[in-house]
Amino acid sequence: MHLLQIENLTKRFGGLTAVDNVSFHIDEGEIVGVIGPNGAGKTTLFNLISGFLNADSGIVKFKGENITRAAPHEIVNKGIARTFQVVRPFRHLPVIANVMVALRSPRGSRKIEWIKTFERKAVDMLEDVGLTELMLEPAENVGHGDLKRLEMARALATEPDLLMLDEPFGGLNPLETDFLTKSIQRIHLDNPMRGIVIVEHKLYALMKIVKRVIVLHQGRKIAEGKPEEIAKNKEVIEVYMGKAM
Amino acid sequence: MVTTYLRRAYSSFLAHVVDIPPRLLAFILILLWASVPVFKPDGYTLTILVSTNIWAIFVASWDLLVGFTGQMSLGHALFYGIGGYSTALLFKYFQLPVWITIPLSVVVVFSFAIILSYPALRVKGPYLAMTTMAFALIASSVLYIFPEITGADSGVRKLPLLFPLKLFRREGISALESVYQQTLAYYYFTFISLVITLLILYKVTHSKTGIVLVSVLDDELASKASGINVDKFKVMAFALSALFAGYAGCLQVHFVSFADPGLFALTFSFLPVIVTILGGIGTIYGPVIGVFVYQILNEIFFRKVIKIPLEIYQAKLLIFIAVILILVIKWPRGIGRFITDKLKDLEEARDIDERGPRIWKTYKKKGKKIGVIARVRARLKK
Repeated sequence: MHLLQIENLTKRFGGLTAVDNVSFHIDEGEIVGVIGPNGAGKTTLFNLISGFLNADSGIVKFKGENITRAAPHEIVNKGIARTFQVVRPFRHLPVIANVMVALRSPRGSRKIEWIKTFERKAVDMLEDVGLTELMLEPAENVGHGDLKRLEMARALATEPDLLMLDEPFGGLNPLETDFLTKSIQRIHLDNPMRGIVIVEHKLYALMKIVKRVIVLHQGRKIAEGKPEEIAKNKEVIEVYMGKAM
Repeated sequence: MVTTYLRRAYSSFLAHVVDIPPRLLAFILILLWASVPVFKPDGYTLTILVSTNIWAIFVASWDLLVGFTGQMSLGHALFYGIGGYSTALLFKYFQLPVWITIPLSVVVVFSFAIILSYPALRVKGPYLAMTTMAFALIASSVLYIFPEITGADSGVRKLPLLFPLKLFRREGISALESVYQQTLAYYYFTFISLVITLLILYKVTHSKTGIVLVSVLDDELASKASGINVDKFKVMAFALSALFAGYAGCLQVHFVSFADPGLFALTFSFLPVIVTILGGIGTIYGPVIGVFVYQILNEIFFRKVIKIPLEIYQAKLLIFIAVILILVIKWPRGIGRFITDKLKDLEEARDIDERGPRIWKTYKKKGKKIGVIARVRARLKK
């Protein structure tokens, strides 16, 4: 049984087919990259899986359970956590309270071990992404790179079995990208059974982490395979670079 | 044994109240407010203070819904009115005593809010504001559809008082004096209700649940993505807020001893907005400070202190608007927030200062105030 299985998923916005008959699966402990040029339907695919959009047809199965029509918060409590492409912190709350919100969810509070207090757990979550110094700072005063990491800490606080990162490297400088790459690898090592899906434009950073890549173009899946294979795939190069004259 | 107990209580009082400036200020204000009768206000002033206490409960409940959860409500008078009318009708038809009708009607308001919140919370922002306003308007016109039950314009009259006058009739006391004592009893009852309401609301909003409420205000989508059942928390905030608003309505009705359509008036729906702008949104205590400033300015200052002649009494409104404008320009974040910001600076200054742990030591050091400005100046000198 696959951790996440997607069968013939389709979503149309009026005349535009954003996601067109996409099928793939993700296994436990796998790190999968989803790439594609702008408007390929990557974020729509994310929204369909996490329940923020309803699919026109197709099935999303998580651990064998059909979650196609479930509400976003139900999906999170089943074990799929996501981050957003554009950071969405709770601006009035301090950084640590941002994480505490996720710890208040049914799944987040279930996973608090009896020996740890609520606050200790929140601090631990921030430690994982290296934000402890900014703990009490209101989120509106925190920089973009740190907010990206905060998004990840918030997603991790629900202890997901499948973590979906929507452009985690977007707008980060090389140093921050490097740091985030390392923390994604560490998150993977912490819980080797956890699946991770990453949507990304920065192929260089992505290719180092992932084991498998799915390429989307105009809503359709055009290729799937190991990073090295994808890098040599003719169709993928055409999509990214344009056809040879 | 008693002395050790007292000593422990005293030391914990020092640690939890005196050493934390905002709490100390709140404590002093509560003491001051509790000792208002010492200053021997006249009957009129005392009556105004009682209704101010009642309105304070009402606006604090509004702040829970709007300031913390971000669900804009312009029809909060709905709950105020429903609370008032349900206690009135319970008396009219079942002749129940006051002490039973009030809890019952609070339950009525609570369940009403839960039912109403399902359609209301489907809409957001300005649409929600319009929807809630419409609810209040509909409710007030429903009163005219069933005039036999609700009494239409004349309302339900001759309701029992919380403290009947005969409790205060004694030998050697004039009728006026006993009415004064009755108002005083009302004053203390509403005051204690207000303090308890504030404590509950403050506890709720500064707990783990309060964090979730603010997260709904900030970003509903992100809150859903954190696994929070947003609808559940919205309904909770709606119902809790309605509960206190309804309680305020009950108190008002049993204070003036009648319920009329004025309870649903738009004035009551907009009162929280005005006083919250004055006092500071998202604080709970802000609107309470706001309503006191509003009432003291409006009723006591203009009528008693300035004594505007009756011919130009309408000009009062102009002066009132001017005063509010000045306050809002001076402290755009509200009076309440201004005070707590200042106190926070003070607290920081105390932590920096090594000479003594107590606030007054820092404050009185060489007669200088250590505030933000002083600290900035000190930094510039370096």
